[in-house]
Amino acid sequence: MKKIIAGLSVAALLTAITACSSDDETVKDTQKPAISEAGITPNPVDCQTYSRGEAIPFQYIFTDNMELGSYNIEIHNNFDHHTHGTSATDCPLDKEKTATNPWVFNKDYTIPAGSTTYKGRVDIQIPGDIEPGDYHFMIRVTDKAGWQELKSMSIKIK
Amino acid sequence: MDKATLAIILSSTALCFPVVSANGTATISHTHNKTARQTTAIGTADSTVLMQDVTVIGNRKRDFQMRTSVNNVSIDKTFLQSNFAGSLMQTLSGVPGVKAMSIGSGQSKPAIRGLGFNRMVVTEDRIKHEGQQWGDDHGLEVDQFAVDHVEIIKGPAALLYGSDAIGGVINLYGNYIPTKPFQGSASIFTRTNNESLGISAKLEGAMEHFYWKTNFTAINYADFKVPTDSIQYYSYYIRLKDKRLRNTAGHERDGSVTLGYKTYGFHTELKLSDAYTKSGFFANAHGLEVRLSQIDYDRSRRDIDLPYQSVNHLKVMSHSVYQHGKISIEADLAYQNNYRKELSEPVSHGYMPIPAGSLERRFNKSTYTGTVDMKFGLGERHLLNSGFNAEYQHNRRGGWGFIIPDFETVAFGAYAFDRFTVNKHLILNAGVRYDHVRTSIHSYHDWYKTPVSETDSVYKERSSDIRRSFNSITWSAGLNFTSGNWLLKANVGKSFRVPIPKELGADGVNYHIFRYEKGNPDLDPEESYQVDAGINWGNRTLSVEFSPYLNYFPNYIYMNPTANYYEGLQWYFYTQSRVIRYGFELQANWQFLPFLSLEGKGEYLHAEQLSGEKKGFTLPFSTPWSADGTLRYTFCRQQPGNEALSPSMYT
Repeated sequence: MKKIIAGLSVAALLTAITACSSDDETVKDTQKPAISEAGITPNPVDCQTYSRGEAIPFQYIFTDNMELGSYNIEIHNNFDHHTHGTSATDCPLDKEKTATNPWVFNKDYTIPAGSTTYKGRVDIQIPGDIEPGDYHFMIRVTDKAGWQELKSMSIKIK
Repeated sequence: MDKATLAIILSSTALCFPVVSANGTATISHTHNKTARQTTAIGTADSTVLMQDVTVIGNRKRDFQMRTSVNNVSIDKTFLQSNFAGSLMQTLSGVPGVKAMSIGSGQSKPAIRGLGFNRMVVTEDRIKHEGQQWGDDHGLEVDQFAVDHVEIIKGPAALLYGSDAIGGVINLYGNYIPTKPFQGSASIFTRTNNESLGISAKLEGAMEHFYWKTNFTAINYADFKVPTDSIQYYSYYIRLKDKRLRNTAGHERDGSVTLGYKTYGFHTELKLSDAYTKSGFFANAHGLEVRLSQIDYDRSRRDIDLPYQSVNHLKVMSHSVYQHGKISIEADLAYQNNYRKELSEPVSHGYMPIPAGSLERRFNKSTYTGTVDMKFGLGERHLLNSGFNAEYQHNRRGGWGFIIPDFETVAFGAYAFDRFTVNKHLILNAGVRYDHVRTSIHSYHDWYKTPVSETDSVYKERSSDIRRSFNSITWSAGLNFTSGNWLLKANVGKSFRVPIPKELGADGVNYHIFRYEKGNPDLDPEESYQVDAGINWGNRTLSVEFSPYLNYFPNYIYMNPTANYYEGLQWYFYTQSRVIRYGFELQANWQFLPFLSLEGKGEYLHAEQLSGEKKGFTLPFSTPWSADGTLRYTFCRQQPGNEALSPSMYT
């Protein structure tokens, strides 16, 4: 009887091992894309100040091990001093205030199919009539498989 | 984290001192256990005769295993007490193949063999527990101290339970019937990792054929402690004060009243229960971004600030059994109301201005259930079982956030099942079931306008009117075979699951997970085919149980992450793909001394998507292999229900 039990356990173990080692032909993407500054002057960076009416010359490099998906840029006010912690930098902030006419920017951008490296380059026009103050600049990028990476920066608009 | 928890439970039923009762023989803890056993002994889940001082000789475990060909585990009050782990589902996760997904400091959701949420069914006193489907982040609204007995079915059980029972069923019973004119018990307990304090009390009594039961539980807990002073969440860096997760404190209040009448051949019971929980959400990671609030979360670790949720589950149910000769008829009627609110500080997002008030989401769902089940013994060898059930659900939403539309669902099911005892070593069974489900989803438009061009803006439609009806035929067949010390069970069957309104009609931001979720109104009912087996060997001191399974879904419904954005949030959509899953559980117990036993448990699960965009990927919540060993020393052995000291090792 005990032999049979031992046999069963071995069989179970074998199932487990073969199951673990049976690699399939389909290549799975298990890596997130990256937001990189390699070889360029990235823009914007933490604690920069921009003026109403001018453009933010956005520039970052996106990379992925297999294929990039798309990216999104979002700008929202930080008048209430909330925090995003993707960078360790603490920028000096203006006094807290309640937003009356804040700037909302939220736009999706495509990346050509098949790219593993892509330079994101957009001029984002700051409207002249928005409320100045502290803002957050968010970059989000996906790869084809749906992995996402993000980066956030604190900027000031005068 | 749960394993590092030190849980202490003090209970009157767990003391070593024999409590001499009116007739001078049984203790309180004794009667509890005896009843739990009685209920499992015969075909119905009801105890039909009140027995006192009766000794039944037999192999109870074996008889239980021969009752059905599906893999089932029966758990009595003793196990629940000696494995107490904060929440009921965490307690049950000691059973191989059962896992608890922790979703807060006092709450967790169950999963059987990697399938959770609406791919398994939780019943409470035979009524399907509603409320698991429309939120990933609240636990089972059940008073775990009112549970007398638990039965877990691993593997598909759609035949008797209908839609959803693909992964299995957890049946909770509060079916203990008092034996004394007046009796009661109380437990107090505490946990160190969230400083929880709880009390649970019971008062009950019996007069001739009538009996009554009352139950009350109150639990309070503070912010959850973690062994770190900062955490990284979704690439945000969050500092913690005193290694505590801000605002995760909460409290729970549960109560129930039961009235029953019982004579030979007839038993009826009316039960009213309510479970209420209020708990805070981790303050730094709720809503659309990590926010620095004006609220001083660190001023107290026991208060509950925004954001928080409150969940209430009210249930009225009646259960009746009539038995005459070889016929037994069981009927259940129930009304359940799930009422859940999520509140948070109002913030603007995208084109949504700052909303008025803090009510982010409200769900109000009422469910009416009726079932009739009939068992009929045909000759000595056939036991026919057939039944019918009907259910009506009505869901209404509220608040400024949208994720699940208003809907109504009507469902009917009918089944027939035969159990054929060929001889005392071999039992065969087979059955078939038909289900019809109709879902009606209402459209929803944003309460604010979104610009669609330079000059125009609209109230965007987030969910359209959807009307779907689903039909499904399911079947299963199985056998039980016993020879010598061996016991073999095998089962083959088809299960199904009707897509829930969230999967069909969701269209919005999921504030908990920072993503945009899109339903698919064209989803088909999810089907599942499974073969499983249970191989048992046991003698007086050693028992081994091996349960392998193979499971194939032609159209598993899952949420697929895409590379696209929608209003700044990554877009996820519901889709279907072919999935294969297989695995096993292995359990061995060696009672090498009367007071000392060694137990080993292990489980393995492999899940893989065979088609679609995520071909080759596994499924979420597919737990990795695990094994653990326990050495158990039992003291006060003469009293069942006593605590055991058991140092355990986990891998």
